[in-house]
Amino acid sequence: MVGPLIPMGVIPETWNNVIALLLGAGFGFSLEASGFSSSRKIMGTFFGYDFVVLRVFFTAAITAMTGIIYFDYMGWMDASMLYINPYYVMSAIIGGIIMGFGFALGGFCPGTSFTGVAIGKIDAMFFSAGLFIGVFIFSELYPLFEGIYNSRNLGGVKIYDLLGMRETVFGFLLILAAIGMFYGATFVEKKVKKVEY
Amino acid sequence: MNKKYLLLTGIIIALGIGMLFMPQRDTDKQLRPEMLLAAIDDPSRFLSTDDITDRLVKQDPALLLIDVRSKEQFNTFEVPGAINIPVDSLLSAPAREIIGQKAKDKVFYSNSDVTSDQAWILCKRLGMERIYVMQGGINTWFSTIVKAVKPVETASVEEINLYQFRSAACQHFFGNSETKTEVATSTKKAVTVTKKPAGASSGGGC
Repeated sequence: MVGPLIPMGVIPETWNNVIALLLGAGFGFSLEASGFSSSRKIMGTFFGYDFVVLRVFFTAAITAMTGIIYFDYMGWMDASMLYINPYYVMSAIIGGIIMGFGFALGGFCPGTSFTGVAIGKIDAMFFSAGLFIGVFIFSELYPLFEGIYNSRNLGGVKIYDLLGMRETVFGFLLILAAIGMFYGATFVEKKVKKVEY
Repeated sequence: MNKKYLLLTGIIIALGIGMLFMPQRDTDKQLRPEMLLAAIDDPSRFLSTDDITDRLVKQDPALLLIDVRSKEQFNTFEVPGAINIPVDSLLSAPAREIIGQKAKDKVFYSNSDVTSDQAWILCKRLGMERIYVMQGGINTWFSTIVKAVKPVETASVEEINLYQFRSAACQHFFGNSETKTEVATSTKKAVTVTKKPAGASSGGGC
């Protein structure tokens, strides 16, 4: 069996949504299980008393990256068939600023706010309501933003191509950087006053 | 420091070092010059206007006609169902995404087949697949399909069939000019109502 399973036709296209639903439920469960439904835990990243967000997401990134590189090398999957989201430079910058602002202000990112709603947190409910209001405003004013939204599409670029690096070298450096950050985060956590929550 | 973490760190660093010894993959997806030359020599990239018209009439979902002329020329006249990607924006990311679709037969056309063939060579060199050129371009399409010449009555069955196919296709795209005028005149016919004078008695009966 050779992946990716759906583009290769191993799993029919019609199963796409079912699999997405199962993966989404699993993702939500792991978020809640690792304590991401608490906005205080997430805010720990900004105040320096809890770096679990950084650890979880960087571990996920380097694990998935190592898996893809090795699977591709073994011939178990064809990495060139993976869909890569096109990079819209302006949208990424402006959206990133808005998202970061909302993240620091509300203490949730979209995914964790839904896990918060699922366990009945009132602040998460307000955050999710705000999210839908934002979606509504964006959709209604789309003609205004359309120019910026679609400008500077670089296509599915890869960072190691832009840097002119081999993907394996970039992968190795990213692993080193992640491990450095993990130990650095532990160091900061020890220095900063413990917060009980 | 927790021993568990040291073990995990060791494993991921070992895997990372392992990566460095992997052979370098050929990331340069461009076609080698010898292969490009062989592809240019092969005339199978040219599709006739009749083949394309047949697929257009049958609404083949795998067919994607791409007009590589300028926007003004495209707006003046285009083959029905075509999209416009001027040859100077062929390398933009959205255009590459459209032409890179693997499930479609992309057919380039321009006024003749010179510009479209240049677009074909460029895309072929970038390693794109299932790309074709409309033979003779829109000029040939216009003269064979839109202005199809009626063969003489002694012509062969094939020629007459071809003519019938072409004129039927033309009617499919642009409608039949004869029936159009007929409809126009018949609707103009006014209905005249003749009223009986108020005092007139109904003829016959009781």
